[in-house]
Amino acid sequence: MKKKLCCECGKALIKDEAALCKKLLGTDTDEFYCIDCFAEYLECDKVDLEIKIQEFKEQGCILFL
Amino acid sequence: MKRHIYADNAATTKLDAEAFAAMKIWLLDEYANASQQYSFARKPRAAIKQAREIIAECINAEPQEIFFTSGGTESDNWAIKSAVLANLNERPHIITSAIEHKAILNSCAAMQNLGCTVTKLPVDARGVVSPDDLASSILPQTKIISVMTANNEIGTIQPVKKLCEIAHEHGKIFHTDAVQAVGHIPIDVKNLGVDMLSASAHKFNAPKGVGFLYVRAGVKLFPYLDGGAQEYGMRAGTENVAAIVGMAVALKKNISALETNQKHIIGLEKLFIRELEENNIPHVRNGAEPTLPGLISLSFDGKDGEKILHRMDLMGISISTGSACDGNKNQISHVLKALNLSESLAKGTIRISLGKNNTLEDVRAIVTALKKVLGD
Ligand SMILES: [Zn+2]
Repeated sequence: MKKKLCCECGKALIKDEAALCKKLLGTDTDEFYCIDCFAEYLECDKVDLEIKIQEFKEQGCILFL
Repeated sequence: MKRHIYADNAATTKLDAEAFAAMKIWLLDEYANASQQYSFARKPRAAIKQAREIIAECINAEPQEIFFTSGGTESDNWAIKSAVLANLNERPHIITSAIEHKAILNSCAAMQNLGCTVTKLPVDARGVVSPDDLASSILPQTKIISVMTANNEIGTIQPVKKLCEIAHEHGKIFHTDAVQAVGHIPIDVKNLGVDMLSASAHKFNAPKGVGFLYVRAGVKLFPYLDGGAQEYGMRAGTENVAAIVGMAVALKKNISALETNQKHIIGLEKLFIRELEENNIPHVRNGAEPTLPGLISLSFDGKDGEKILHRMDLMGISISTGSACDGNKNQISHVLKALNLSESLAKGTIRISLGKNNTLEDVRAIVTALKKVLGD
């Protein structure tokens, strides 16, 4: 599958970043952000997003498999 | 730093500072086991007695009708299982509602495994149990009827007095899980006529890990936790004096300020709904009057409640959702299912529960955040 790019900075996204965008913007989202740009977009700390990723994985959310 | 807004008061409440202050002495200084015979145990014993009297007065019960437990879950388990265990050889029948807390539903399921039968009364679209449905479900072997006072997800208050009258016309025991209601709406056990009532302290600004079961004098109670002679020999275990005292202080305080708190919270709730409308945020409000003050269950068609929860969380706002991600799919709560809500609405359901500590500013901030999230 083609690598998704950050719609802000153009960086190629890792799997967790793409999954987080789906989780927090909706599974049908067309907009994907790298974690730095996503934190800026959501006006939150990057570390909060990193913790969320960890928690979603622990909950077994298949978006993060 | 981001301001934290707590809007999940139906899940738990902030411990009242006066309750906390009243608890400390029983943890640090007067730590005796209240069952001991020496003089050091007199003060904790007296504190428990006084707490029992205060709590009884708050719900218009008699002190000897109050049994301290570890919380609402234990109280619910005790009520259901006591009725069954006392009549086990008769293959008891239990009546409850489809929207009860899991403490009731899973207690019923456990009793089914012992050979009991269970009827779960349906609710209408507002979440209300029909008295006629109850009347037609009662069987000769029905041993307990348990319907909650107010629902924890949608806030709907049940016609408990009427349901209780029907139960009594048939000579049946009526229990109500009032965990969500005690401390928030007036509860008078004599007026309601209930035989048993469950309450949980942390829902009314008291500590976690403590609650009580009201059992009307004359109702046969079966011990649930066996051991020592605490709680009139009905519930063994060294008393959690600090928590019991904290519960009494917090409940008395909430009951004393019930009207003031209700007025404040209903004012917040009205502002919230007005703000939603002024911001043109399409929504469906679940539940119906009479309802718990401040408990607002909202469905947003085609939206994702879990996404809303996490986005709000990242903005420093704690709310709850009616559907949770279960690994690979959204699990709709049994309450929303019982309301026959469409999947699209159920999936987009959140619960905002405002409490006495919330402010007008909080409400405006929640609506602003909600608008942003729903617009994405
Ligand atoms: Zn980027």
